[in-house]
Amino acid sequence: MPVTRSLPDPRAPNRVVPVLAGLALVLVWSLDFGRIQPNRIVPGTGHGLVSALGWGGAALISLALGGSLLLSILPVRRRYPCLLVLITVLLAALPQLLVVFAARQLPEGAPYARTVIGAGFWCLLFLLSLMVVEVLGRLRARYGVPLLLLALIAASWLVLLRGDGLDSLSLLREYQAQPGKFEQALWTHLALAFGAVAISAVLAFALALRMIRSPGWQRPILGAVSFLQTIPSLAVFGLLIAPLGALASAFPVLQALGVRGIGWAPALLALVAYSLLPMVRNTFVALTDIPEHLTDAARGMGMTERQVFFQLKLPLAMPVIIEGLRITTIQAIGLTAVAALIGAGGFGDFIFQGLGQAAMDLVLLGALPTIALALLADALLTMLAASLRPTPARA
Amino acid sequence: MRNWLPVLLLIALLCGLCAAMPVLEPLFRGLQPDKARVIYQRESLFFLLGHHLMLVAVSAAVATLVAVAAGIFATRPSGRDFLPLVSQVASIGQTFPPVAVLALAVPVLGFGEAPILFALMLYGLLPILRNTLAGLEGLDPTVREAALGMGMSPWQVLCQVELPLAGRVILAGIRTSVTINIATAAIGSTIGARTLGDPVIAGLVNGNTAYVLQGAILIGLLALAADSLFEALERAWGAGVAIANK
Repeated sequence: MPVTRSLPDPRAPNRVVPVLAGLALVLVWSLDFGRIQPNRIVPGTGHGLVSALGWGGAALISLALGGSLLLSILPVRRRYPCLLVLITVLLAALPQLLVVFAARQLPEGAPYARTVIGAGFWCLLFLLSLMVVEVLGRLRARYGVPLLLLALIAASWLVLLRGDGLDSLSLLREYQAQPGKFEQALWTHLALAFGAVAISAVLAFALALRMIRSPGWQRPILGAVSFLQTIPSLAVFGLLIAPLGALASAFPVLQALGVRGIGWAPALLALVAYSLLPMVRNTFVALTDIPEHLTDAARGMGMTERQVFFQLKLPLAMPVIIEGLRITTIQAIGLTAVAALIGAGGFGDFIFQGLGQAAMDLVLLGALPTIALALLADALLTMLAASLRPTPARA
Repeated sequence: MRNWLPVLLLIALLCGLCAAMPVLEPLFRGLQPDKARVIYQRESLFFLLGHHLMLVAVSAAVATLVAVAAGIFATRPSGRDFLPLVSQVASIGQTFPPVAVLALAVPVLGFGEAPILFALMLYGLLPILRNTLAGLEGLDPTVREAALGMGMSPWQVLCQVELPLAGRVILAGIRTSVTINIATAAIGSTIGARTLGDPVIAGLVNGNTAYVLQGAILIGLLALAADSLFEALERAWGAGVAIANK
């Protein structure tokens, strides 16, 4: 008999949202909401909440945060749906605050002046996201609701970013400074990360099958892949330069294909090596953890070994394999950013260029999409795993 | 003692290489004949190793303290309201790539040691927090009830029952955290930390493969040494618990 924890009464006041909302209120009033920079490098002047948005805007934000604080402690019946709507609207409208800020504070006739998002804005975004996570958890929302919310917020942000009001935003300035570069980086990043995941998925499946057929291979294979995982990425990239360089100079064919000591070839190799551990481990565990009585029953029903594998084992193992795929994909997206150090391209290029030029907006232009990609991959693959989880047949 | 042998060997190898890198000059000369210098000498390798270790150790210590405290808080009756959020944050946070976290720390805190230390702590927190929660939540509730029934105070239950039983899972979290942080600290030399990443980055910038190789070998050895240390610790912990249970 599984022990069920007593569920909290849905009408009991929430203690988490007030803490987050209170913290947001304090931070948004005490930190700079945004900065105006005369050009790319000069730090510029910071603007607090009132100076950035005027008393009206400051009051509106404070009201919304205070409102969600009150909503979460007062005895309201539909507490969580109301909170969800309020916070979602706030989140969706966040870029509008930047539009107001730019309109109020950006000096006229200064073509290089740019608005920079300040710590206050980031904190507000972060705490509001935490509030959404908390409220969604309390509502026990299935996958549809978060997805809908995400789509709503993303659509509103895209519309606002495409408008004219945010042209002066430093991130967009960096984006427009190198036309086409961003898209190119995106495709390189995706190609490297997903290419590595695809290759390692195939390899890992083969290795897992090998380990199941001949148990003598289990220790060496698992040992080798976890050894690879332990070596830091920078070291692996570094260690691959010399051998690949030597290979390329020995075989001109490889050189013609673009294989060199630096570039995509060592990056892809290293990414595949890293991706093996989670894939192999999850595939192996998933395929061997299937209860004996199920396979017995399947055989008893007259299934052939092939049918047992494809109709029973594989479907049952799928969620765990997808979980391995999820870990691998997130990891590969992050490591691809590091691979920019050896000239593989992708969003890491912006990060390291920005660090080299002390241009923080360029760093953000690389870091934020990398995080967004990882979060997106996480969300999609989590949903996929959940939808593949076999549900017991109803009698 | 057999547990600790690989650790000692790896540490000896690491220190030996740090000290004896100039002896290997002919080897690296063969790899990179066109450079005047093939041995990284801008900074003593011991200094870089020590600095690297210091960054990882300090961040691991702080992260462990904070994460275990947060994990204990979220599993007590008074903090249980925060449990869903804390565990969500621990798992969502881990999807953030460490490089991106490192990069984001720079605009906020500037270049140098501070942002790296901060980023390492923040990121290192998550695996430990996740494992602390898993370890404490995964305990059989009857164990806790039995301990309370024996007349132990909640504090005694925590210190003498829950933490020792969850210790192994927490230790595994610290191991993950340290492994990630050794790698991230190496990348930190792009934002001005003095770590074993320095020779790699310098080599990449100047096209000096010998530098890259020296840095890469040392970083790899450091990671292996740390990993085998945790392996030995986990075994020792397991043996300790087994003896205590007898």
